[in-house]
Amino acid sequence: MTHDHAAPSRRSAAEWLHHLLSMPAGAILLVFLLVQLACIIAGLVIPDDFRYLSPQNLGIMMRSVPVLGCLALGAGVLMIAGEFDLSIGSVYTLTAIIMAVLVGLGVDAFLAAPVGLAVGAAIGLINGFFTLRFNLPSFIVTLGGLLFWRGAVLLINGAVQVRFDPNPVFNALFSGTIFGINAAFIWFVALCLVFWAMLHRHRLGNHIFATGGNRAAATAIGVNTGRIKMIAFAIAGFMAAFAGILATTRVGSVQPGQGAGLELQAIAACVIGGLSLRGGRGSILGVFLGVMLIFTITDVLLLLRAPGFYLDMFIASLIVLASIFNHSLDRRGANT
Amino acid sequence: MSLLALHNITKSFGPLKALTDLSFEVGHREVVGLLGDNGAGKSTTVNMLSGIHRPSSGYISVDGQRHDFTCRSDSAEAGIETIYQNTALVDCLSISRNIFLGRELTDRFGFLDLKKMRDIAMQVLESAVHISGIDSPDKLVGDLSGGQKQAVAIARAVFFKRRVLLLDEPTSALSVRETEALLNQVLKLKEEGVSSVLVTHNLYHAYQVCDRFVIMSHGTKVLDVSKADTTIEQLTQHVVLT
Repeated sequence: MTHDHAAPSRRSAAEWLHHLLSMPAGAILLVFLLVQLACIIAGLVIPDDFRYLSPQNLGIMMRSVPVLGCLALGAGVLMIAGEFDLSIGSVYTLTAIIMAVLVGLGVDAFLAAPVGLAVGAAIGLINGFFTLRFNLPSFIVTLGGLLFWRGAVLLINGAVQVRFDPNPVFNALFSGTIFGINAAFIWFVALCLVFWAMLHRHRLGNHIFATGGNRAAATAIGVNTGRIKMIAFAIAGFMAAFAGILATTRVGSVQPGQGAGLELQAIAACVIGGLSLRGGRGSILGVFLGVMLIFTITDVLLLLRAPGFYLDMFIASLIVLASIFNHSLDRRGANT
Repeated sequence: MSLLALHNITKSFGPLKALTDLSFEVGHREVVGLLGDNGAGKSTTVNMLSGIHRPSSGYISVDGQRHDFTCRSDSAEAGIETIYQNTALVDCLSISRNIFLGRELTDRFGFLDLKKMRDIAMQVLESAVHISGIDSPDKLVGDLSGGQKQAVAIARAVFFKRRVLLLDEPTSALSVRETEALLNQVLKLKEEGVSSVLVTHNLYHAYQVCDRFVIMSHGTKVLDVSKADTTIEQLTQHVVLT
């Protein structure tokens, strides 16, 4: 009898694991849960040496995740559509500076922020225009964008930091705390839900996946793939600007060099989350987990007081391992 | 009146004359085999019918009405669907999402009605197109075999009420069993009122299902004969010797 009971439950556990791993973000979800479990156990067993569960640590996590998270959401949608944007780090700084300067000139923050978002989306559209009109790799076009807008920041503002002092309502909305949860983190989670609905439950998302997955087929069926790519570029620029708003409100100032390297971290988060570099594959859950995993590992290393270079080495290993795993999935799809 | 007809079509690519004064018809509930050796002009004809090339002279008519196709969607609108060997499907999307790609069922705000799309896809796969191994419309198209992919493309054509299927070398990448299933599918669709043009150089496959044969050679028609009036030997002779 006991044997009969044990066998189905063991099989269902194996089935469950198989099901989990065959989900688009299943493997990363498993890794994430295991890392969390290990951290929580360690935090409970040695609370004095490993303060993972302390309110201060959780607060730091919630404040640091959203900026990269928003950048990664935009970059991820664009990657699924089959293009890259390396300029989002520069756009993030540029739009934050524009917003901060406007507020410094006396413009209300609730007007300045939409201006920043519009500039971000417009730069995305410019990237898209050059990429599509001249049939160039977006990697090259946006590499140009990265350097151009980084220079533009110095042109507009010089190499000095800009104070950002918006009205208290704006501050509360983007960096306050609600029920002990950081407002920026709530924004990030809400945007994840919006992006999930858009990508996985809306016609636009279906067309984005089709455009990135097989552009010729999507075009043949009547999807306007050029338009879809333009929308994806605009979303990437818009989300870069939104990340700029979150970061600037939290810190209260903008440094001209603050966005450098963020674009690569955002793409790294997407790759760890299971997005294919060739487009057409990925999920919002994957992007979310990719970002969370980067910050969890960062946090663990900081709590263990490891030197900073370990951080880069860990993230680097994670990227390569994730790519190997995703590539094997891609291959499996292509062979059968 | 014929469903689809080509009238004295000539097509040149620069100095190269791909088609010369080509005319043939496809009737209602008819399967036409378009046969010929390599270079006979079969693919050019298919591309013309699916709106990719435009005739240099002559024209195409549907239901007796002249149609000038400028792109693939023009031809689709007239009820013609081309099913290529590497057919236009997106590997990373599920079967139901592929069937409805570009014509999704949505609510007012553009959100997908996934349940309805699933149910209809399942229904089409079960009733109209029967190819073994497809048990769920949630399967990714990339995980299907060549024959199953073509089944999905045919299901799409059937659901959107196409009246003529152009099958361009549909059997060349299929297993024996898949070929059999596909040819039966063509016959079943004929019963339901969908005509087909089967473009192939496999005479045996064509002879199995076609009602009429159009044999091409060097860009023009050399034989147009119904199945009752010919034998496979005569067809072979015309393909090989002209």
